[in-house]
Amino acid sequence: MIVEGDYTFAGTREAVWEALLDPEVIAHTMPGTQEMVRVAPDRYEGRMRVGVGAITAAEFQLAVQLVDVVPPERYTMEIDGRGRFGFTRGTATVNLSPDGAGTVMRFRADMQVGGKIAAVGQRLLDSVSKMMTKQGLEALAAEVKRRLAG
Amino acid sequence: MTVQQGLAVSLTVNGSKVERTAEPRLLLSDFLRHELGLGGTHVGCEHGVCGACTVLLDGEAVRSCLLFAVQADGHAVETVEGLAANGDLHPLQAAFHETHALQCGFCTPGFLMTLVPFLREHPSPSETAIREALSGNLCRCTGYKNIVDAVALAARRLASDAPAAARA
Amino acid sequence: MSPRWLGERVPRLEDTKLLTGRALFTDDVDLPGMLHAAFLRSDEAHGVLRGVDVAAARARPGVVAVWTAADLGDYWKPGPLLVPPPPIAGIVFNAATQVPLAREKVRHVGEPLALVVAESRYLAEDALDDIVVDIEPLPAVMDLEAALAPGAAVVHDELGGNLAARARQTKGDWAAARARAHAVIARRFRYDRGAAAAIENRGVVAAWDARSEELTVWDTTQAPIPIRNGLAGMLGLGQSQVRVVAPFIGGGFGPKIMMFYPEEVLIPWAAMRLGRPVKWIEDRRENFYATTQERLQIHDAELAVAKDGTILGVRDRFLSDTGAYDPYGLTIPINSQCTLLGPYAVPNYDSEFTVVFTNRPIVTPVRGAGRQHGVFVMERLLDLAARELGMDRVEIRRRNFLPPDAFPHDHQILFQDFRPLVYDSGRYAEAMDQAVAAIDYERFVRVEQPKLRAAGRRVGLGIVSYIEGTGIGPYEGARVTIEPSGTVRVATGVGTQGQGHFTTFAQLVSDVLGMDPSKVQVITGDTREFGWGTGTFASRGAVVAGNAVHEAAIRVRKKVLALAGAVLDAKEDALVLECGSVHVKGAPERAIRLGDLAVKANPLRGGVTPGTEPGLEATAYFGPDRGNAANGVHALIVEVDAETCEVRILRYVVVHDCGTVINPTVVEGQVQGGVAMGIGNAFYEQLVWGENGQLMNASFMDYLLPTALDVPAVEMRHTVTPSPLNPLGAKGVGEAGAIPAAAAFAQAVEDALQGGIEVLEMPLSPNRLFELMQDGAA
Repeated sequence: MIVEGDYTFAGTREAVWEALLDPEVIAHTMPGTQEMVRVAPDRYEGRMRVGVGAITAAEFQLAVQLVDVVPPERYTMEIDGRGRFGFTRGTATVNLSPDGAGTVMRFRADMQVGGKIAAVGQRLLDSVSKMMTKQGLEALAAEVKRRLAG
Repeated sequence: MTVQQGLAVSLTVNGSKVERTAEPRLLLSDFLRHELGLGGTHVGCEHGVCGACTVLLDGEAVRSCLLFAVQADGHAVETVEGLAANGDLHPLQAAFHETHALQCGFCTPGFLMTLVPFLREHPSPSETAIREALSGNLCRCTGYKNIVDAVALAARRLASDAPAAARA
Repeated sequence: MSPRWLGERVPRLEDTKLLTGRALFTDDVDLPGMLHAAFLRSDEAHGVLRGVDVAAARARPGVVAVWTAADLGDYWKPGPLLVPPPPIAGIVFNAATQVPLAREKVRHVGEPLALVVAESRYLAEDALDDIVVDIEPLPAVMDLEAALAPGAAVVHDELGGNLAARARQTKGDWAAARARAHAVIARRFRYDRGAAAAIENRGVVAAWDARSEELTVWDTTQAPIPIRNGLAGMLGLGQSQVRVVAPFIGGGFGPKIMMFYPEEVLIPWAAMRLGRPVKWIEDRRENFYATTQERLQIHDAELAVAKDGTILGVRDRFLSDTGAYDPYGLTIPINSQCTLLGPYAVPNYDSEFTVVFTNRPIVTPVRGAGRQHGVFVMERLLDLAARELGMDRVEIRRRNFLPPDAFPHDHQILFQDFRPLVYDSGRYAEAMDQAVAAIDYERFVRVEQPKLRAAGRRVGLGIVSYIEGTGIGPYEGARVTIEPSGTVRVATGVGTQGQGHFTTFAQLVSDVLGMDPSKVQVITGDTREFGWGTGTFASRGAVVAGNAVHEAAIRVRKKVLALAGAVLDAKEDALVLECGSVHVKGAPERAIRLGDLAVKANPLRGGVTPGTEPGLEATAYFGPDRGNAANGVHALIVEVDAETCEVRILRYVVVHDCGTVINPTVVEGQVQGGVAMGIGNAFYEQLVWGENGQLMNASFMDYLLPTALDVPAVEMRHTVTPSPLNPLGAKGVGEAGAIPAAAAFAQAVEDALQGGIEVLEMPLSPNRLFELMQDGAA
């Protein structure tokens, strides 16, 4: 499953970069995130809960490894989530480029989903992931805005 | 998830009062089958599509795999075991037998319990209406034709019996 | 002894129990102290199994035991190879059978990793969540051609590649036939995978009685006797210490055959270890990937025809998916290879199949068992040839039918039973004539269709022939006993899953013993009642077990007449068996009831003539020399909605010939149900896989079974050409309805769209039909 798109934040590249990699921000903005800890400079671990169709609260143990980090331009996340309802894994790349006063983020995630959530939630996976992406981006934008205001 | 406390459940099943305790998460289908020993209610998909577990709740057809036993508290449940009064087959059961409307028979109780309220509300249904009524129950053996015939036969019989019953 | 019940529409004797909810299905078995099992299954299709941590699960209150592969010790063994490869020259066969719990590697989604036994199923499932699995994913092998390419990921490392088998069967000289052909039709055909989807999922309940040292296993199996024999061997018990009961079974359709599924092997073992009964009932999602499936094949086939439509030869090269393991050998591809020949004279044939391991669940026969593919390929080739030659599609078939005097007809290749593929009998043109008349072919093609088309309606007709190889050996048996009550008991080893054996077998006995079928009690599927036989599959119940029942009844009749002759002081040929008693012809007062005769046949005192067997009881076995060739024609009319690409079936006619019919109602029920499954295969049912081997539609919400709105009433006609291979002349019918439906459907849809598309694949969902129509228009 490919999730890709772009989003323009009202803020500098550095501000966006900082927000994106702040575990506190991730925990607040990424829908369903229960907990997110930066266990090493390039590694995050946490828990996340999502609902897909008949599966209302699938909890995943999440590990995110950062690779190819070039601040404040780009980074890649290797994502590995597993739980009783299945697994999700894949890579996501994030590119930031200045756009006037703002910053354009381009992202592309290539994710695999397996187990129960794939077997019985397939029809909804696409729309759920789109919805979660949209919610996450909007929350992130609000966070960036809040930080800049503060 | 931890072991959950049982809740008191009081209901009527096939006309008899039943009082038990049930974990909140216990499905009505499992309650009927394994707590009350009413094995005629079958479970085919556990997600409300196949219809094999259909029972009547206060006279309406419901999927017992989509309800918790505690939700039946205070209600009247009827299962296939309650259909043959005094040992005589219900007209639907007799019609299923005569038209060879069952093969393995696993889905049959669900069909019967779906059809009881249907025929009550549609005493002389068209073939299209019958097929629509059946379309929420899956049968893998029969190809449905004989079930359609059985419903039509039962409807005719019930219609001709009705005046007699009214006189009695 | 004129048949009174044979061929009668006797309403089924087993119905009352089923209609009132009193029939015992496996999940109805409830024993004191019974524990409940659940299996942890792989979420990955292919991967290295690094670890399964069950410590937390073991510690959960209510959990009695948790086992992984490492805990099974010597009991961990790959399952038996159920069907060895047939003796075809040059055959390659690599056996890799399923394992009870995965060890080192996982090979398909749903493969079991751990077994939890707890005080309730709810608790057992809770404990599954406590287990931590570490799997290092490997690329999933999904595409049949890519699987064979160098560098592909390998399902079974020890085999070094994904080739499961390869076999070629030929007759005549294909190259020469091709060289002199007027036209050669060559296409690629694809037939995809579906689920058998019996409404009852699988289940096993096992109880070990330590005092009597007896194991009882209730199992949703089509073949209880092989399961008993296998379990006894695995568990170190004598066969008589194990009783396997296949009670009422909620549909079989193939996958409930003697599979030795992991659950079937582990639940009895667990019950013995724990000293308490253990029950496991599959849920629907498990059924979608832990129960076997069928149907993915890709054929590259060529048909060489003369100018007049005469078949000169066929060449076929096909790939067949066996999934992650191949315990059922080559039954499916050999069925495809043989069934392709159909009711036609094919002088030259060159067919080679390649069976491929993939990271999908295991493939074993599902109603039709590879026959669908053969029919689909041949019938499609004939349609395409007719189009190319400007011939009528019925005419090209008529031109190639084997004539009634061609039997026995030897195709010079081996069938799935390892016997030569020799057709026993058939009147193929006659079946076609009946179908043409029933669907009113000429009128539809010349009058109706043009008229409807002019009105903008896309209506089309499909009409195809098929052969179904049925009634294969090796053998079945039955015991018939007249009890002192006068009731006749019939015990046979085959299991029953709705085929009406309780009634049809009773009819066979009733005629012989002169009694009402309702007085005949049939017991199937209980190894304690009858311990010899193989099972219910390949449309063989009525043929093989039916003839054994019939023969056993004849032997009992002989005993009845001999004893009654002595008791009534009459010659045997002066005796009449009627209404449950024997009397002397012309002297109805000189009579004895069969029950009373049974008492006399078992004397408590006094002497008997040496050599006398007690009781009015006999056992008989029947094993045919080879299988039968049932045949038929399916014809249907469809209408395609150009907007939605929905296909509505307006009429469906089946003409079939299954030899002698024991109970027409039962036979018609089998055909109607088979057609429903065939329609599902053709238009609704397809298992959809992600490239990482995930099954993406593992529920009845997403995997669509035909409903009452989708299946028309089939109009049925019979022709009866008795088989010379068994005394009853029966041929078997269980799979007939399902086999040709897709081929007929494809032709009808093409016809409706006036040749705008070619339908070379099954199933054909509205989505896929839309794509084809777009491509055709482009």
